[in-house]
Amino acid sequence: MKYLSLLSSLVLVVSACQPDASVSSTEAVRIRWARDPETLDPLTQPNQNATDASYLLHLGLLQVNYQTNEYAPALAQSLPGVQVLGDSLTQLDYHLRPTAAWDNGRPVLATDVAFTLKLMHCPGLPNESAREQFGFIRQLRADPADPRHFTLVCRGQANDYQITSGDFPVLPEDILDPAHTLRDFPLSVLQDWLPKRPPAPAVAALVRRYLAAGLAKHPGHLPGCGPYRLAAWEPNRRLLFQRKAHWWADALRPVPFVLQARPRQLDYLIIPDDAAAVLALRRQEVDVYPHVPARVFERLRASEAARSELAFYTSPSYDVLTVGFNTQHAALRDKYTRQALSRLFDPVGLLAATQLGEGRRTVGLLSPTSQFYNDSLPLLTYAPTQAQSLLRLAGWQRQANGQWRQPNNPQPLALALRYRADEATFATAALQFKAAAEQLSIQVTLLPMEAAMLGQALQAGDFDLYIRLVKGNPFGLNFESMLHSRAIGSGNITGFGRPDTDHLLEAIAAEGNILRRRVLLRRFQALLRDEMPILPLFFLNNHLIVNRGLRHVVISSLKPGYAATALFWAAADSTGSHSPATP
Amino acid sequence: MRWWLLARLGRAVLAAWGIASLVFLGSRLLPVSPEQLSLRETDDLTYLPDGTQTLAAAQLASRQRLGLAEPVFYWTRLPGPTNQWQWHGPHNQYHHWLGQLLRGSLGTSYRDGQPVTRLLAQALIVSVPLAGGAAVLATGLALGLALYLARAARGKRRAGLRAALAALQMTPVFLVSLALLLLFANPDLLNLMPAAGRAPAAGPLAAAGYWAARAVLPLLSLVLVVLPELTLPLAAALRYELSAGYATTARAKGLPLRRVLRQHALPNAILPLFTILTELLPTLVAGTVVVEVVFALPGSGRLLAEAAATHDYPVVVGGVLLVAAVRLLGLVLADVLYFVVDPRLRPTA
Repeated sequence: MKYLSLLSSLVLVVSACQPDASVSSTEAVRIRWARDPETLDPLTQPNQNATDASYLLHLGLLQVNYQTNEYAPALAQSLPGVQVLGDSLTQLDYHLRPTAAWDNGRPVLATDVAFTLKLMHCPGLPNESAREQFGFIRQLRADPADPRHFTLVCRGQANDYQITSGDFPVLPEDILDPAHTLRDFPLSVLQDWLPKRPPAPAVAALVRRYLAAGLAKHPGHLPGCGPYRLAAWEPNRRLLFQRKAHWWADALRPVPFVLQARPRQLDYLIIPDDAAAVLALRRQEVDVYPHVPARVFERLRASEAARSELAFYTSPSYDVLTVGFNTQHAALRDKYTRQALSRLFDPVGLLAATQLGEGRRTVGLLSPTSQFYNDSLPLLTYAPTQAQSLLRLAGWQRQANGQWRQPNNPQPLALALRYRADEATFATAALQFKAAAEQLSIQVTLLPMEAAMLGQALQAGDFDLYIRLVKGNPFGLNFESMLHSRAIGSGNITGFGRPDTDHLLEAIAAEGNILRRRVLLRRFQALLRDEMPILPLFFLNNHLIVNRGLRHVVISSLKPGYAATALFWAAADSTGSHSPATP
Repeated sequence: MRWWLLARLGRAVLAAWGIASLVFLGSRLLPVSPEQLSLRETDDLTYLPDGTQTLAAAQLASRQRLGLAEPVFYWTRLPGPTNQWQWHGPHNQYHHWLGQLLRGSLGTSYRDGQPVTRLLAQALIVSVPLAGGAAVLATGLALGLALYLARAARGKRRAGLRAALAALQMTPVFLVSLALLLLFANPDLLNLMPAAGRAPAAGPLAAAGYWAARAVLPLLSLVLVVLPELTLPLAAALRYELSAGYATTARAKGLPLRRVLRQHALPNAILPLFTILTELLPTLVAGTVVVEVVFALPGSGRLLAEAAATHDYPVVVGGVLLVAAVRLLGLVLADVLYFVVDPRLRPTA
């Protein structure tokens, strides 16, 4: 009798947890996130999930069109007009869409953009990342005749200002600053405010109001101009975004891709474990699984049961596994030494071992899919014999015990290799290099580290080699942050920099003519190949698994790798419900 | 007894404060700076820093916002060969932290600006019922299994059960969790339990049923992991007590073996169980990281692990303080239970 009651209780429990497919499949698109965004403060965006969520609630002037992998106007009516002033300034001309409006009905104006830019420089707000990223915008000139027309004056002359200048969520001025107190402060004054100087009373009051709004956890306290509002947030469990019933962009014809918002609900489920995420996908508790690890992707694709209910997508990404050398160290100062050590990495074997063969080897930091890729340069391969020749060319002599030594250096060639400890890809590459180097009697010490400690050690120059994932994009192709001598101490970890390479990097950033730019970029790739401060090994692929019932899956090379707002359910489409026309 | 208890509690408070202070100072003296979290990583080519000056200004602003621009302690050793010290007075991070602590505040998280007390409370709402329920179930099961094992020293079934418990003890918790997940929440095998997802939009009764079903696998994982640790020592203690003289006397009086075990041997054998049980108390608040990660539960173990990984020191210090306090109170509770069960152990006055 006891077991019978237990069995009936179990039956009730099991029946209670069956998913209600008739409701959920026509309502919410359920997307797996590996981690919680932690904060939805639009100024912060500490991770990709927070950025994705911010752009569901707010809009930027420009946003990524994942169909074409280009920036497209969102709040702006078109891409900004570019005008170069003198030898150090760039002027960008923006027009806002006439129909763009906040949730409370007020229009989006140039004063909102100015207010948002000034918010990035108010002390006490969590805006350090935005301050660093958009500090090049020095001035916003509003048009007295047209409240939706303004001009941004940027310091420096770089082509990617045209797109990066609009890549931030715009916030409403009337809610946070109803008395318009921030209008008394020009943007450059806020930017040049010394840290020791106490903030102005109006700025301090604004900071208090901003923090009191609690936007990190309650973004609904601020009206947005994006297509969704946050309906529910259970920290570390899920976020539910509900489509606004009446949104200003619904009246646009045709609807631009970046302003599409087809799912009625976007339900992001936080599932940190990959095995649990796979089971949730198989049980149809999750509909979209982005950033699938390669082994999981292959195993699911090989399963006949999984193939019948899931669709698999792959696209190249702009993340490149990169080895870096500390060119400030005496042993690695010579370019032939760096070239020799580069021959001890095996990109083909590593690609097969870590990415199951998917991904593409590369000659430089530009993706092989880029029009500026230098396909004349041969791909590097594992060549220990050539490594020995290059070491001798650099002046190293092999001793009787096999060790390599230089005449003016008593120490034999020995290397410390640092990489992140939480990624198997880095460990595999490091172990392969160690095995190859020790065959030549080059002693290699592997130092796996936690991510923040690794960043600290790299900044301090306490390494010989490192292995990292460099996150790129196809837009600006500005490598000054990595390789310019001005960036030594911040982004230029290798310490590589020479006057001629600096001039080349500056010319690449400023060149507007696409043909001349291609020549410069090909020269840049050839230069990097010769000097070898960094060795890009291969570009990773982006994997996505989607429920077969979902339609209009747009896979992209840009993060997050797919367009969540473009998805819709086939059932909804087959019932004849009206969908916006695809442009 | 009362004075002894007050003295023990006072020492527990001092020990918890000492542990938390050490963790606080240790976290502040680490070479890694938390302000790196609010800045982009240097391997991201999608942003355009203006150079080291801009980066230094952003770092300084971040340190000021997080309250890290002040000295760490009341004094600092000056750099140089001379062993000189500089006194900072009350304007230091530790003094502010201690003042907040005495006012019942644990500070705010670096990551999202939430009060640490709120974050811990939200996480404990998930962890305490899970670990508490597992502890209760495991204790009940352990008592039953131990009595069963102690009833006879031989037998194939008992040997098999003992071997199974020993094998369970050797199995890592993530293997147990994943095995249960792949067995009961897998469409290719038994598709009985929800793996991860959200409650159905039906009524509250269906939601309660869903959450109950959702909790079955994590509870089962924890019970299976804790069960050998409780059962095997208790069974051994019961076997030992059965060989004592008073047990032989009870058997000679004609009592059945079951009653001898329950009424005579168990009160003596149960003393070590209290120590093991009170050592499970820190698990209630520290959480079980592996089970929470595998089953996507936002408990305190995940909270503390993620806070440590991202150098969110206020959360780490708050969590350590809570765990230390609970562990020290657990030791006091174990002693009190000893005194209740065995009055001979009570301290005089």
